[in-house]
Amino acid sequence: MKSIFHINIIRTPLIALLVIIGTGFMARAQDSRIQLTSLDHLAAKANQTVDVAIDERLIRIAAKVFSDEKTDEKEIKQLLTGLKGIYVKSFEFENDGQYSPADVEVIRAQLRGPGWTRLVNVTSKKEGSVEVYLLMNGEQIGGLAVLAAEDRELTVVNIVGPVDLEKLAKLEGKFGVPDLEIETPKTKKNDDK
Amino acid sequence: MNDDYLWDKSGPPDPEIKQLEEILGTLRYQPKPFEVPAPRRRSYFPLLAIAATLLIALLAGGIWLRVRTRDQVPQQQAAVPEKTPIIAPAVEEKTTPTPKPQKRLAPREQNVVVYHKRRNTPPALTQLDREEALAVKQQLMFALRLASEKLNLAHRKTQSMSPANQIKNQHRVG
Repeated sequence: MKSIFHINIIRTPLIALLVIIGTGFMARAQDSRIQLTSLDHLAAKANQTVDVAIDERLIRIAAKVFSDEKTDEKEIKQLLTGLKGIYVKSFEFENDGQYSPADVEVIRAQLRGPGWTRLVNVTSKKEGSVEVYLLMNGEQIGGLAVLAAEDRELTVVNIVGPVDLEKLAKLEGKFGVPDLEIETPKTKKNDDK
Repeated sequence: MNDDYLWDKSGPPDPEIKQLEEILGTLRYQPKPFEVPAPRRRSYFPLLAIAATLLIALLAGGIWLRVRTRDQVPQQQAAVPEKTPIIAPAVEEKTTPTPKPQKRLAPREQNVVVYHKRRNTPPALTQLDREEALAVKQQLMFALRLASEKLNLAHRKTQSMSPANQIKNQHRVG
């Protein structure tokens, strides 16, 4: 009886400790970004490669040079608040079929992990596919991943941290980038006001 | 057979009973003096185990927080108050001895200070930091724009494919 009693006494704190450590690791795992290194070999085949890897420290440094007075920059600065990383890999090819479905599947497999939810999946034979994934930490957005696979282009965007999708979507068309004009007439009316 | 032995231990005993008596006799009640049990030594093991667990958890939490906040330290250092007092040269003139007794100024007037309002960028950024920050800013902007573009592309494709939208468009055209 005594030994069983002692085993229970040891077991309880051990379980508690494991739960604490496990929770910490889980919280960290939820934070983790997508590994994009598997796409690195495509750079040799690509016409144009974009590789952006900005961690939390660099985001903070960059946030310092965003103006608080210019509306556009202020909005971006607000968007950056709380972000832990922005990672982009984009490849543009001269010909079709330069990347294999397996390359895309490696990324997709990571996005099937716990916490990730597929928000949008649009597939068309002509224009390829666009998938938008969200990492949910409870009710909050903990991260975003966009996987766009076209015939001659493969783009993966991974934003780690709480991201405001509405603000992010509004960024297009600012800073000299052409707007795709997908806004609804209502918002245009509001802007006019 | 005489049962008196069983009744009051008189008369000759039966050998089987005698044998049983000998075997069971070892188990008979033996009076012992009453002993107060010594107080049991309390085991501190469970308390120690719980305390060790909490200590390890606190330690792990502390290390985690330290690692997390390490990156935030430079930002705290960079936070310089917007208004930096610079003593105006006029004050120094007043401190030099003059033959004429001057009108004593009110304390507010004596401590004349000029405030430089710093704008846009914190002054703590060195030239190198600023260059790095600008380079990162460009990359950041590009990444965000690309993310925005792809998000909008997904949105546009979804809109164009949804039947509800088609109906709306038909209505709008009609």
